[in-house]
Amino acid sequence: MSDVTKSKTTGQVRILDAEKLSTEKPVTLWGTARRRLFRRKSAILGIVILGILVIIAIFAPWLAPYDPQEVLIGIEKVRVRQAPCIHLLGCPADQPQHIMGTDGNVRDEFSRMLFGARLSLIIGFTTVTFAIIIGTVLGALAGYLGGWVDNVIMRFMDVLLAFPSLLLAIAIVTILGPGLINALLAIGIVSIPAYARVTRSAVLTTREMEFVEASRSLGGSTLYILFGRILPNSMTPLIVQGTLGIATAILDAAALSFLGLGAQPPTPEWGSMLSAERNQVFTAPYLVFYPGLAIMLVVLSFNLLGDGLRDALDPRLAMRTK
Amino acid sequence: MKHNKLYILVAVIVMSSMILAACATQATPTVVVTEAPATSAPVATTPPTAVPPTKVPTEVPTAAPTFEGFSLSATDCSYGGEFSSIEAVDELTVKFTLCYPDPAFLSKIAFSAFAIHSSDQIVATGGGGTELLENPIGTGPYMLSEWKRGDEIVFTQNPNYRGEAAKTPTLVFRWSSEAAQRLLELQSGTVDGIDNVGPADFDTVKNDPNLQLLNREALTTFYIGMNNTFKPFDDEKVRQAIAMGIDRQRIVDNFYPAGSSVAEYFTPCTLPNGCVGDPWYKFDVVAAKALLAEAGFPNGFDTTITYRDVVRGYLPQPGVVAQDIQAQLKANLNITAEIVVMESAAYLDATSAGTVGGLHLLGWGADFPDIVNFLDYHFGAGSSKQFGTHWTDITDALSAGAQLADNAARKPFYVTANNAIRQHVPMIPVAHGGSGVAYKAAVEGGQASPLGNEDFSVMSISGQDTFVWMQNAEPISLYCADETDGETLRACEQINESLYKYQLGGVAAEPNLATACTPNTDLTEYTCTLGTGIKFSDGSTLDANDVTMSLIAQWDASSPYHVARTATFEYFNALWGAFLNAPPPAP
Amino acid sequence: MFTYILRRILSSIPVLFGILAVTFILARAIPGDPCRAMLGEKATQAVCDQFIHRHGLDKPILTQFGIYVTEIARGDFGESLRFGKPVTTLMSERLPTTLELTFAAMGFSIFVGIPLGIISAVRQNSLIDIGTMVVANIGISMPVFWLGLMLAYVFALLLRGTPLQLPPSGRLSPGLSPDPFYVVWGLNVTSQGLLSVLNFISRLNMLNAILIGRLDIFWDAFKHIILPAVAVGTIPLALIARMTRSSMLDVLGTDYMRTARAKGLPRLRQVMKHALRNALLPLVTIIGLSLGSFLGGAVLTETIFNLSGVGRILYDAITARDYIIVQSFTVVIAIFFVVLNLIVDISYLYLDPRVRLD
Repeated sequence: MSDVTKSKTTGQVRILDAEKLSTEKPVTLWGTARRRLFRRKSAILGIVILGILVIIAIFAPWLAPYDPQEVLIGIEKVRVRQAPCIHLLGCPADQPQHIMGTDGNVRDEFSRMLFGARLSLIIGFTTVTFAIIIGTVLGALAGYLGGWVDNVIMRFMDVLLAFPSLLLAIAIVTILGPGLINALLAIGIVSIPAYARVTRSAVLTTREMEFVEASRSLGGSTLYILFGRILPNSMTPLIVQGTLGIATAILDAAALSFLGLGAQPPTPEWGSMLSAERNQVFTAPYLVFYPGLAIMLVVLSFNLLGDGLRDALDPRLAMRTK
Repeated sequence: MKHNKLYILVAVIVMSSMILAACATQATPTVVVTEAPATSAPVATTPPTAVPPTKVPTEVPTAAPTFEGFSLSATDCSYGGEFSSIEAVDELTVKFTLCYPDPAFLSKIAFSAFAIHSSDQIVATGGGGTELLENPIGTGPYMLSEWKRGDEIVFTQNPNYRGEAAKTPTLVFRWSSEAAQRLLELQSGTVDGIDNVGPADFDTVKNDPNLQLLNREALTTFYIGMNNTFKPFDDEKVRQAIAMGIDRQRIVDNFYPAGSSVAEYFTPCTLPNGCVGDPWYKFDVVAAKALLAEAGFPNGFDTTITYRDVVRGYLPQPGVVAQDIQAQLKANLNITAEIVVMESAAYLDATSAGTVGGLHLLGWGADFPDIVNFLDYHFGAGSSKQFGTHWTDITDALSAGAQLADNAARKPFYVTANNAIRQHVPMIPVAHGGSGVAYKAAVEGGQASPLGNEDFSVMSISGQDTFVWMQNAEPISLYCADETDGETLRACEQINESLYKYQLGGVAAEPNLATACTPNTDLTEYTCTLGTGIKFSDGSTLDANDVTMSLIAQWDASSPYHVARTATFEYFNALWGAFLNAPPPAP
Repeated sequence: MFTYILRRILSSIPVLFGILAVTFILARAIPGDPCRAMLGEKATQAVCDQFIHRHGLDKPILTQFGIYVTEIARGDFGESLRFGKPVTTLMSERLPTTLELTFAAMGFSIFVGIPLGIISAVRQNSLIDIGTMVVANIGISMPVFWLGLMLAYVFALLLRGTPLQLPPSGRLSPGLSPDPFYVVWGLNVTSQGLLSVLNFISRLNMLNAILIGRLDIFWDAFKHIILPAVAVGTIPLALIARMTRSSMLDVLGTDYMRTARAKGLPRLRQVMKHALRNALLPLVTIIGLSLGSFLGGAVLTETIFNLSGVGRILYDAITARDYIIVQSFTVVIAIFFVVLNLIVDISYLYLDPRVRLD
């Protein structure tokens, strides 16, 4: 067909070929971000580790050779805290295979580790979701409404931040009583201020932008403007903070379980598995090594991913390439 | 912005008014860091001879005009305890009159809770307070040099000790709750002896030429306790069902070190009459389930398992054992048990107050080698509320048995008692836990006492003037009248001594501070003659008032010195029956 | 400048208020009988009556809060029934241990982290840079308690018998009982307040050892604190290294650095004189923020290495349901935090001239 372009000299209008116009892919924020993310090797590593963990978490019941809570006394000829026996690496075939050995109650450590992955991911996501929802609402209200609402909310956040996070979580769990749910609630509460602050500052910047004025002049209600217009544009820092927050949440949950305040026996949570065997660090170091290593890998993956996202989504850093 | 300023203004006003209020009220020193004030208990204003009006004071005139004996008598024996009177006859003679014959009197009086303290100190500290609890004055081979709370206790030789001076001038107690850490320190040489070698480490110690392993005889019992004032444990069938539904052999086989055995009775069999009567129920899941269904719980129920996370000879791996019991209850009886961990002192307080429901894990190590120490302490008339309401068939049988001297004559009563315990199931005996003590090979005189009361004054290493001992936990205080924890008793015993003491590695009690305590023919009176010239570490001489005051402070609940740490004096209550002038029980 | 300081101090006051309110609410939220909950099972009726009267538990809640605040203002934190001692005494006994650990950890993280960050920035994308960043990423991901256990395993067991062996617990080797420095100096102190302050200082083992001139004790205390300090300080070290690197990179790319290079200044001089001062600014914030992880890490590390500090007693108090200790220690730590952050903010006045002009 014919192109339509305006000739510089004659002023004649030509019709451009529609197909020709769309040969270039449109430039979007997400597209650029994704490309930048994948350029960083560390972020890729984080995604890979995370992917493996998610697969393990989802398929744990099929991947685990034993039930994680099954005590094997009388069922197999294994002792308490038996060293790992891997047939491929030379362990005699008549001994039952336990890739990571057995724990203090004669349960298969490897199966417990797999189910622990499930628990850790759930812990991370639920606490951060809880904290984001509440924190975002509070931060948005504070940023948008300003005035005394802003003051009160931010002062309360300051108070929460005044306590070292682990100590405050410990104090809350003391009141509520030990248990995984209470520990998650405590960690969630302690994490709220970070998201409130992030949302508030994002709202403050976008509040003055033109498209918001446009919406307002078109007659949009406060709520609609807030949740329909401003927040979607504040997502970026929230995503970054959330990813990094999952890492902290998993660490805090492991710490609480290590202190006996989180997951209760016989739940296979990595922190409490570590705590149960900490006495045996010199006689059965494999029981201490693996849970800790697992915690570290999960947290590392979220940290790498979060760092990568931060660099990828931050327009300012895009200018400072290399 | 204007809100901000208003806000700050309000805050300033509030803060200044608070500060004004603080300064206006009684001005205590505002230095944040304060030393502990001198003990809050009032210093006794009553002279030693004053006694409450309901008692008959006995002031016996003595040869030395300055000696005023401090004594106490009960008006009658209806108060329910064993003592009728404790009397300081003269400077070196104390007479105990009992309400009923007690052949085990000497064994009991040798116990460390009844160690003799300086009456001057008791009066000066009002029977309690930091000075008495953390720096008692005693007659023993060691005295306290320093107690760095949380870190270590340092003892030094008592210069006034009447016997051979302690072989090592400085004794240090340290503690760690982790067996692995204790062993590591022993192997590194930073400590000289450790308690409770971990079950997995026995072979390591045996094979190490630099260390020696001493086996401690299994004079301990681990049991699962149930308080019958909490539902559904008020139903005897429920308790019996659980007794049948737990495989105790599996627990001992997997989680206990060599030298341990399954407990068929509460008392270890090495004690006379310990294992008479019918042995414990056999592990029978089918019968247990049927019984539980009969009691109305065919599908089980929810409960808790409470324990303290400390290592003891009777339970070296509490967490693991608790989880195994949890797993067994679920698998065998469909009982879902939640695990609750309590701190050690709080746990002991709670169990003896009878406030712990569900199942609780506890144990017992012999204090002195008589069955009375096991059964009477836990199930006798004077025992605590740990298992709820007492059973009269048990308490009657135990009271009768305790009053006889001849083991053959006592036997039928203990048959009755053991059978009654088996029937009522206040607790399920699980294991007699053997344990081990490890020392450096160079240590001479190392001991592993079945009673847990190692005597460090006879231990030494050539070339070292400090002996470091590492046990499981920090002592709670050094005033053992009010303590029951083995780790605490061991420490007190280095400083304070009793009238009698237990033979090293033996069963009988032999004279210590007293040269002899002679009974009358029907064992209702014991007259003790004290050694002459025995000195406390502060130089004062031991006299009868020290003895009577130490014991009366515990015996007389209305005494101003009946204070200590928590005023419980559990051992006194359990071994001598009751306090005098005890307040009526709370409604 | 003075108004800035005053403004900062005044805006901390509502936060302090909030801290007191939160701990007050937390304490009142404990289920069960408040007296028995606070003082323990053994509390007799007489003690409970006194407790209720003293804290006004029979009065309206606002009056109770008022009483609570005045007590804190007076420095009266109550008495733990378990120990039979006032909380302030317990605190002064245990705080030196935690302080020593915190300072050692801070020293480790600052004096290792900053140089690492600088080197990484100056030699960007070299092996050192990549290596440091990998280690830093791993460092912030590691659970403190795991690191502590692994360190103990390596240095106390695997390296046993070698000169690299380090003790796995305690603060001093047993039997080493250094005298407090004021005793050695022959000072005759009568005032109770001054005595308690001096006692506090003398419990800082390394400082005390220097003051009495016993280098062997100093060395012993130092050896005992290495492992816990490394465990606690690793996460802040990673943070500081990363922060230093990125802010150094920022500074190194600026105009004035290019000017310095153009002037022909030697590289080291460029770095030290020009870049460092500006790069260090955000570090003060990071250090302030890291204090939270120092304290949290202290709780975990003190449990593993058997140190009887503030963190450990807090943890023991929690398991023992000794709420008096939990409440008062939490308040003190939070207040300490606020004060420290205040100091950090005020220190910006001297470090960042832009603030002065604000």
